[in-house]
Amino acid sequence: MILTIFKKDLKLFFADRKGVLLTFLMPILLITLFAFAFGGIGGGSSKAEPIKLLVSDLDNSSDSKSVIASLQALRELTLIPKEVIEATNLVHKGKNVGVLILKKGFQDSISAGNNLPMELKYDAAREIEMGMLQSVLMQSLMSTVGQKSIKAKMNTYFDTNFSGMPQEMKEKIFNNMDAIKGGMNTSAENNMGLKMTSIVKESTKIGNLGLIQAVAGTAIMMLLFSIAAIGGGLLDEKESGTLKRLFYSPLKPTDILFGKMGAALVLAILQLVVMFVFSWLVFGLPIFKDFTSLVLMILATAFAVSSFGIFLVAIAKTRQQLQGLSTIVILTMSAIGGSMIPLFVMPAIMQKIAVVSVNYWGIQGFYDIFWRSLPLIEILPKMGILVAIGLVMTLISVLLFKRNVLKLMHN
Amino acid sequence: MNRYNIKQMIQVSNLSKSFDTIHAVNNISFSIRKGEVFGLLGPNGAGKSTIINLMSTILKSDEGEILINENDIKQNSTICKQLIGVVPQEISLYDEFSAVDNLIFWGSLYKVPAKILKQRIKNILKLIGLYDRKDDLIKTYSGGMKRRINIAAALLHNPEILFMDEPTVGVDPQSRNKIFEIIETLNQQGITIVYTTHYMEEVERLCKRIAIMDAGKIVAQGTQTELQKQSNVKEAVQITFQLISEVQLEQLQSQLQIKINQSEQKIIIECDVNKDLSNIISICNKSNLRIKDIKLKKANLEAIFLSLTGKQLRD
Ligand SMILES: Nc1ncnc2c1ncn2[C@@H]1O[C@H](COP(=O)(O)OP(=O)(O)OP(=O)(O)O)[C@@H](O)[C@H]1O
Ligand SMILES: [Mg+2]
Repeated sequence: MILTIFKKDLKLFFADRKGVLLTFLMPILLITLFAFAFGGIGGGSSKAEPIKLLVSDLDNSSDSKSVIASLQALRELTLIPKEVIEATNLVHKGKNVGVLILKKGFQDSISAGNNLPMELKYDAAREIEMGMLQSVLMQSLMSTVGQKSIKAKMNTYFDTNFSGMPQEMKEKIFNNMDAIKGGMNTSAENNMGLKMTSIVKESTKIGNLGLIQAVAGTAIMMLLFSIAAIGGGLLDEKESGTLKRLFYSPLKPTDILFGKMGAALVLAILQLVVMFVFSWLVFGLPIFKDFTSLVLMILATAFAVSSFGIFLVAIAKTRQQLQGLSTIVILTMSAIGGSMIPLFVMPAIMQKIAVVSVNYWGIQGFYDIFWRSLPLIEILPKMGILVAIGLVMTLISVLLFKRNVLKLMHN
Repeated sequence: MNRYNIKQMIQVSNLSKSFDTIHAVNNISFSIRKGEVFGLLGPNGAGKSTIINLMSTILKSDEGEILINENDIKQNSTICKQLIGVVPQEISLYDEFSAVDNLIFWGSLYKVPAKILKQRIKNILKLIGLYDRKDDLIKTYSGGMKRRINIAAALLHNPEILFMDEPTVGVDPQSRNKIFEIIETLNQQGITIVYTTHYMEEVERLCKRIAIMDAGKIVAQGTQTELQKQSNVKEAVQITFQLISEVQLEQLQSQLQIKINQSEQKIIIECDVNKDLSNIISICNKSNLRIKDIKLKKANLEAIFLSLTGKQLRD
């Protein structure tokens, strides 16, 4: 019975040429547009919340500690001490923007005036935050260890070339140096030797973050729109009287809903497949890199999104209501979830809010596959959340539908 | 045949249904025999569609009982649904599908095996005269053709009972006749039919028994003759003469042995029009009375409805 309804609903969908065109052509256009728009991502800035930087102090010396303390004092940063391995892992998963590692021999290198053994491993997907982080780090490190290191270097130089130079004179030179410190920053920076390592970027070598954002972001937003439209067919049937006629027959009212959901699910999958294949053919998105994860992510996303669409239909009473409601809800969710503007350029507070939207989990999941190259096991929790969203929405829809069945027929 | 042996296909007793403050159906009882065409006649808002919805299980009654072939619809709704075919008042079809695709879909909801369904669809399309257009989309059909498919969609599971809710609304006379023929054919095949309308001619042509409804109540029910008796509407002939004298009038009255109301040159004779009219005219001729005009006052449903409710059936 569900199957009969399901086949009918699919057929109804494909009978509407304009709708079909909109469902498949529109996302392709948008993906193309966004792919070009995000192609040279960068620029723009966002302040407000401090950046959470992980830090691993392997030297554990008084100098390394004082560096950490001075960084900690900065308004722009919040430091979180972590073990190197765990920290790297967190950055890899996209939890934190980067980890600053102060390696063994940090203090000795300062006294010796050598390049400092420190490294910043970062997530290149968060370019904007990185830009900020880098400048903050440089300024701060310069004023603490930079000066010290240069003085140490000069001390050695004076000792070898001008042996017997009185300590008093050296002090005077160093004090003058402090007074013109501003002018020395640039030249000294090169000696700092902060090694920058992009964790994520190097391990994937895809390099087209813009494309992934374009595909994942667009896909989920467009999916929501087309599902709301397909589900809206239920309201059309109410208006045209065919819904009432369905109730004359011996089928269960929920069969009507499940049939519709099935059709919505299949179309969502179809739409995602078309979008990914298009991105593969035209933009070279490596869809076969981790095919299993991609397939599972597509299924989970399609399920979450189609039940969310049906949920919108279940709470709307008329086509017009659905139109208004779905436009507002979908656009809002897409905006906060990162479908339109990539999440990583948004302020931290927005990134936190994002988790309430379906879009967020879908987009992050696709990021995990294509950008962070995480193994399936690491992406499973995000899929789980998507499936959970789907189940909850389905449940609510069924309850609402059952309660409104009579109203559906007679008002 | 003893009338008490005749099987009651539908029994409705003390049925009531309200929407907020409107008593759409107000304590109604009737029964319909197997093989009968039963007419529900009433003006807009009388409660006809509400009764159909209640009997087809998609509305729940506030009070009362409905038995379909002795099954209570509240307890055995699935059995009842299999017995019933409903032709809704609105055309309820998928515009974007062809006639055949619509029928296949509606038929498969009743789990009719595909092969049998195909054969049935063919037969029904031939019956309603649309076999040639079967692959055209419904949206390309005329109003009358859609109405016929609307009927066909209710027949695919071979129901024993057919509810038809104003199946000729907005239909041209030609299509209407075609629909009447279809209904008569179906009835000959033994299907019990409940037919709602506010056209008295339709009920007069199709229905053996009739319930006249107004404002949620059945005002009277029975065959047309029975209704006529209940309503006290008498058939009559009104004859206008060119000239009639007192003497001639008295003569006529004694010859016809019928009570005559007279005003000026007009007389009104209450009689059985079919039986008595020719006799009256021949007596007038013999008496050399020159007739100027004859009007028949038939005891039709229009008159009966007016007499029972004090209202016209339609504005
Ligand atoms: N779902 C509903 N909600 C509120 N009132 C309703 C509803 N359905 C019917 N009614 C009211 O019940 C009364 C009977 O309506 P119904 O549709 O049964 O009349 P009808 O005899 O079929 O009229 P028509 O000839 O116009 O089809 C009307 O007053 C109508 O307004
Ligand atoms: Mg009606």
